Amino acid sequence: MTQPETTARTKRRLLVLDDEPIVVKRLKPAFQKAGYDVEVFTDSAAALAAFEADPADIVITDLKMEGLDGIAFLDRVKAVSPEVGVIVITGFATLETAKESFHKGAFDFVAKPFKLADILDVVGRLESHLESRRHAR
Amino acid sequence: MGVISRIAQALRLAPRGKTPVPFVVLFKKFKSILERNNRILTLMADMGDKLGGEYVFDRRYVEEACEELSDQIFKLVSDLSILNRCRNVPLFTAFETVRQEIADELAGRHHFPDTAPTLPLSALRADMADAAGGKFAMLGELKNVLQLPVPDGFVVTTRAFAEFMARNGLPDCIAEQTRRLDADEEGAIADASAKVRQRILAASLPRGLSRGISEAVAALAERLGRAPASLAVRSSAWNEDGEASFAGQYESVIGVPPAQAAEAFKRVVAGAYTPEAWLYRRRRGFKEHEAVMAVGCQVMIDSLVSGGLYTYAPLTRNEEGVFVSAAWGLCAPVMSGEIETDSYLIARRAPFATVSREIAHKPRGLALRPEGGTAYADLPPQKADAPCLTEADLSLLGEVSLSLEKYFKRPQDVEWTIDAAGRLYVLQSRPMFFYGDPARRTGAIDAAVKDAEIVFSGRGDVVQRGVAMGRVHVVRSDADLDDFPFGAILVARHTSPRYSRVMPRAQGILTDIGSPAGHMAAVAREFRLPTVVGCDLATQLLQTGDEITVDATQNVVYRGLVKELRYFELTEEAVYEDSYEYRLLRRLLKKITPLNLVDPHAPSFTPASCRTYHDITRYIHEQAVAELIAFSENSLGILDPSARKLRTTLPLNLSIIDLDGDGSAQDGEIEVRDLPSLPLRELVAGLTESGMWETAPVPVDMGSFMASLTRTLGMGGPGEEKLGRNLAVVSREYMNLNLHLGYHFVLVDAYAGEVVNDNSLYFRFLGGVTDFARRARRARCIGKILERADFRVEIHGDLVIGRIKKVDLETMRAKLRLLGGLVGFTRQLDVRLSREDDAHCFAEEFLAAIKPVTEDAHDPA
Repeated sequence: MTQPETTARTKRRLLVLDDEPIVVKRLKPAFQKAGYDVEVFTDSAAALAAFEADPADIVITDLKMEGLDGIAFLDRVKAVSPEVGVIVITGFATLETAKESFHKGAFDFVAKPFKLADILDVVGRLESHLESRRHAR
Repeated sequence: MGVISRIAQALRLAPRGKTPVPFVVLFKKFKSILERNNRILTLMADMGDKLGGEYVFDRRYVEEACEELSDQIFKLVSDLSILNRCRNVPLFTAFETVRQEIADELAGRHHFPDTAPTLPLSALRADMADAAGGKFAMLGELKNVLQLPVPDGFVVTTRAFAEFMARNGLPDCIAEQTRRLDADEEGAIADASAKVRQRILAASLPRGLSRGISEAVAALAERLGRAPASLAVRSSAWNEDGEASFAGQYESVIGVPPAQAAEAFKRVVAGAYTPEAWLYRRRRGFKEHEAVMAVGCQVMIDSLVSGGLYTYAPLTRNEEGVFVSAAWGLCAPVMSGEIETDSYLIARRAPFATVSREIAHKPRGLALRPEGGTAYADLPPQKADAPCLTEADLSLLGEVSLSLEKYFKRPQDVEWTIDAAGRLYVLQSRPMFFYGDPARRTGAIDAAVKDAEIVFSGRGDVVQRGVAMGRVHVVRSDADLDDFPFGAILVARHTSPRYSRVMPRAQGILTDIGSPAGHMAAVAREFRLPTVVGCDLATQLLQTGDEITVDATQNVVYRGLVKELRYFELTEEAVYEDSYEYRLLRRLLKKITPLNLVDPHAPSFTPASCRTYHDITRYIHEQAVAELIAFSENSLGILDPSARKLRTTLPLNLSIIDLDGDGSAQDGEIEVRDLPSLPLRELVAGLTESGMWETAPVPVDMGSFMASLTRTLGMGGPGEEKLGRNLAVVSREYMNLNLHLGYHFVLVDAYAGEVVNDNSLYFRFLGGVTDFARRARRARCIGKILERADFRVEIHGDLVIGRIKKVDLETMRAKLRLLGGLVGFTRQLDVRLSREDDAHCFAEEFLAAIKPVTEDAHDPA
């Protein structure tokens, strides 16, 4: 007997990384309101340490950052947890790199500045994608 | 660009007169100025949109947007240089000044505004904290924008403060004492504080400042009709807004006789250096040079009763109220907790019924003394135990409370007072920072709304985020605006700038149709009114009196009141306005978007008067069109023998240059049906088929509307007005049309082909002849028509710009026909509006009349 997926469903865990504090400051309450369990970071090393200790279901990361950049961060989280869903947020200047991130397994990218509704929408699509993949398995 | 190269090719073949700059170059530059003008307006609008709270943006965006804008403006000035042969030095100077100010702001180098030493409260707005300090800028906004009652007064500006300090060598003295604090804060603070305060109290006011204060007191007396008995002199610190509220840190002096205002100013300034205030600043990471203070002076209200209130007090999970405390007499002892107060809890919506109250024993109250100063007075027993607020007072406080909260998007901590005549005054409003229980926050939106009935969701565009709760008031006419109730939610078919007059009373706005870039949207954002436009069904599904909740953050409308949503809205951890990037962008936009050059016929319409990028853009737009019109009027005949006249019964006097032609001289006039350009053919069809131009006979199907219009024209009406020589530069899919029609100039630039992404339509209207007020009224009327026809509209004084991009060919045809009709209509409107003082706009009538003409557009001409 299998339980229907919905009743077993717990809160999705979300990790947000962007070196500009305003971005995480805006995203955190927006995702909390939408019912996610959210952790935010402005430093990629700290974010990675947290992810390695306890992987989130979904990662949202900026591309261009001091130290470990977004592409490297994407590589590392995928190595830790291959099933993690990653969304890349990016400024106009790094749009080309963002497209490259698809090859590294990013689900989608969102160009800054973006509307809160847009990123909530992308995360929603990623969720159904993860869900269907789980069913397929 | 295909069009331009064809223009170049075509005109290279044409023999040219003695024009110093070839027409082809001029026209190319003109075209590029129009395109750049569009690009700049869009960029500026996009930057403004970011302040609505819907977008997430970072510092990089702010920098990049400013850089691109500066680049576009520079190129715009350069393009005009070619068009007008380099007579542009003042424009480059204006550009460089603005660019430098923007660079300074981005680098954190702040200049205090160059103001008079004092500014009256009536001149202050929220965005003037730089000059007036946080508290008085906010009080100015409450008084002047939200129209709340605030005691009249003036503010001694930050600039005057800085000069007072510098003249008396105070910055050096403070720097010296600061070094002592750095070495031994605890040990040195008492002595350092005493030294600095002593120096400030002994300092002398610069002559300009003491004169400024006397003049401001005299002006205040004139506004009041009598000399004020006493003043309240209060700090208004530069950084007082935002999260560091400095509440209670700085000194206020009340009961000050006007003659002693200058002394009180020094006492308030010295108050910034009490040990408590100084340490507070140091420990919150403020630098000494940030301790800048404006000082406000207001008329003391002879209070009957005063108190404080919290606009939002969450009680239990779904209960909430406004919490009011009150006592007899002046407000100060209520705030400092020196006397007993009554407490009231009232509902958060009209009519603000009392939920509960506790009446205290209040044996004394603070009162003004006739000779100046204040003193406690004993109260008779029956007064001491009586409630000090009536139901009517509470209802008034409830209204003020919701107005403040709606505007500031935060629960507010408010100080207020009521005089013997029952008049309420707001003395202070500062944000309350209490954060929601995190467990209650996470995911609770779903829980909160799961039982709520959704009226509609995800429809239209969010203009301003936020939550509004209240009763629907459907607005169908101006009369509906007259009786717009306090706290209602405005629901209308279309957006309209006319709604701005009820915005201080409204909780939110929903419209069926409208653009988030329109004029009304900008005003709604200014009032921070939760607003969603283009919902399609709002007027069908909602009726006056319905109780609803508009969640313009998630873009959902619920039936009934979903109070949990308000909890979220008001306890959100990070309000976007509190971020540095938001404030930075807002400060930058002050150098970019305000338009000071509104009237091109005014003597001040010069490059030297340009103070913002918008001014520069507007000036160049105007000059570019003037250059082209002058050129086509003076030298067309010499320019191009291939130009042909349009044969039409209308006195259009239109010459056409066909870019697809071989450039050889052509004889005779050209018929409408032979016009080689689709956009021009459609536009002329709209003009003729609509009958808008005709004065007589009136076509029957036009109905009474046209009849009523034409009746007033009489004989020898617009048919005999001066008509300029008009020019159209066209190709099969392109048209650039410049019309000088008596009272106004119209420019239409259109590209209409099979590729949807290439299609664009630009309409520009500028009035003339009549006085500015009438021209502006006509502009608003045209703007309204364009807005309803889905154009993106900008109205500045008597200039109207309407733009549409990337629509299919069918739509382009319809819009071109509409514009044709509009060209004729504006001519009628000229006469109408020049003859009647209170002119009716006729926008609805026009749209109804033009409908069959635009619906015909699918029939190829």
